[in-house]
Amino acid sequence: MVDASVAKRLVQAIIDNLPEPVPGRRPVHTIGIGVKGEFVASDVARTYCIAEHFNGQPVPVSVRFSNGLGGLEQHDGWSDVRGMAIRFHLPDGTGSDLIATTLGEFFVRNVADFFEFAKVAKREPYQRRHWLLKIADFLRLKVPPRNPYPNETENVDAGALRYANRHRFSQLGIFQVGSIGAPESYARASYHAVHTFWVTAPDGVRRPVRFSWQPVAGVRNIDPADVSRDKYLFKELEDRLKRWPARFMLMMIIGEAGDALDDPTKPWPATRVRVVMGTLTLTEVPKDQEAAGERISFNPCRLAPGIEASNDPILEARRCAYEVSRELRDGCPFRWRPDNANSK
Amino acid sequence: MPIPSDEGWIDRFVDRLPETRLFKLVASWILVPLWARLTPVKPLPGGPHPSFQHGDNVQCMMNLIMPLKDKSPVGRALAALAIAQNKEAIFAGLNNVGTVHFARFVIVGDNICMFSVYDGDFTNYIRDFIATIGSVFNAVVELVEGGEEVIPCEDNVEAFIQWVHERDLYQVPDTATDFLRDQEALNGDRAVSPVNDDLTLLPRKLVLQLRANPNVSLGSGYRAYPGFSVAQVRKHLGVGW
Repeated sequence: MVDASVAKRLVQAIIDNLPEPVPGRRPVHTIGIGVKGEFVASDVARTYCIAEHFNGQPVPVSVRFSNGLGGLEQHDGWSDVRGMAIRFHLPDGTGSDLIATTLGEFFVRNVADFFEFAKVAKREPYQRRHWLLKIADFLRLKVPPRNPYPNETENVDAGALRYANRHRFSQLGIFQVGSIGAPESYARASYHAVHTFWVTAPDGVRRPVRFSWQPVAGVRNIDPADVSRDKYLFKELEDRLKRWPARFMLMMIIGEAGDALDDPTKPWPATRVRVVMGTLTLTEVPKDQEAAGERISFNPCRLAPGIEASNDPILEARRCAYEVSRELRDGCPFRWRPDNANSK
Repeated sequence: MPIPSDEGWIDRFVDRLPETRLFKLVASWILVPLWARLTPVKPLPGGPHPSFQHGDNVQCMMNLIMPLKDKSPVGRALAALAIAQNKEAIFAGLNNVGTVHFARFVIVGDNICMFSVYDGDFTNYIRDFIATIGSVFNAVVELVEGGEEVIPCEDNVEAFIQWVHERDLYQVPDTATDFLRDQEALNGDRAVSPVNDDLTLLPRKLVLQLRANPNVSLGSGYRAYPGFSVAQVRKHLGVGW
């Protein structure tokens, strides 16, 4: 069980590694855009999960897309993990959240790992590698570290690599972070909820599942040479939605006995049963961005009855850390539904 | 305030170096053989990874590459003829075995290839085929380098299964770091944290592995309906069995 003091330390560890504090804002995924839309479950969704938003009736949603970096600087063109947090607004006034990122797997298994990672992966000065060292890398058939992005003077890359070299469980996540790139549009990236959840079917069968959003427009990154494009994602999304709605399919992957249920660093094989749970249609970027995205406090454990969090220690830590973060920035508290109160 | 770039002409030249023809030649003819000698890499075995989980044991891929003895158009025609003459036997065999989603014979260059997607254990899959279409295997394998040692397959069942397994392509995992785990498993390195790896060597490891396994299957393949067997699909479609 993650207590409040641990959650505060977690959030503080993140804040301590920021280039500068951002009071009143999210410490990471600081830059984001709120979008309105609607989710319609597929015909089969209700046979797998009794949660209200899977019963087939259209459900209004609030979505916040974000860049992963903490701080107020916006660098859309930099290679970075992007976020897609969604709240399904249920008919009784409560909600169910699903928080996903473009990262397929996380890089730490539990809170202890995270604190160690935070200790090792501190921000360090980052400079262009000398050309002689690059040639030495080429001769050793190694890829040299990338050149700094425009105006980038420090980052956590070296520390993260040191951590990955010491911990094989983290290698996949950290490798993915290093090669993730920048999307052409927030609507042209896949987003993964990384944790395992349990869903309950009408016949009472409980299944371990993982969720991913897949863009109907397809996945596409910008040319890595375009790193200097700092601000294009918000406008691209606004322009896109003025022309036509953007759609995502919600895919639910069903785990099997032996799959990692409580470890977000371990992927599930592509051979698992995959169910289309519904379609998300994004229609509008509201003018009032404070209400549409910044004031909303998402939480990965705010779940409608029918969906439960697994025992994944990172998921549990996020539940508390998100609340601490909300309190710090005076975010909008959300009413937990009474039958979900034990998750609070 | 933008920070002025410290990039000079030599930086730009070095950044583009790997794309130059000269560097590619040096890498192919000198660096790769040199590193292969300094850090030898064993070929990784073909076929799917052993697993007890249901989803991993349906829709398995076999990618068999068999170099033809006669590397001329005549040799390729003989291979095409061997398949054409046995079409009835192949379809009857596939229906009888009942675990095959798709099977294709393909000629690529001087190789005849058999690509298939099947359910269940690899050994049983081949064993079933020997029982039902052994004569087709004999007709094809007779035209393939080293094939004479294992035909007639009905009389050399275990040797034939091993022969096929050795020609089944290594299936590169879907994730880059799982490829490292395969190498570690082959080398008996099962170390857990703390370890002292160098993730930046991944490109070299991949290059050397692709030198040891020149033909590979990339990833575990896309499946429109993962986790379902031939029998389940046919039952749900109402097409019998």
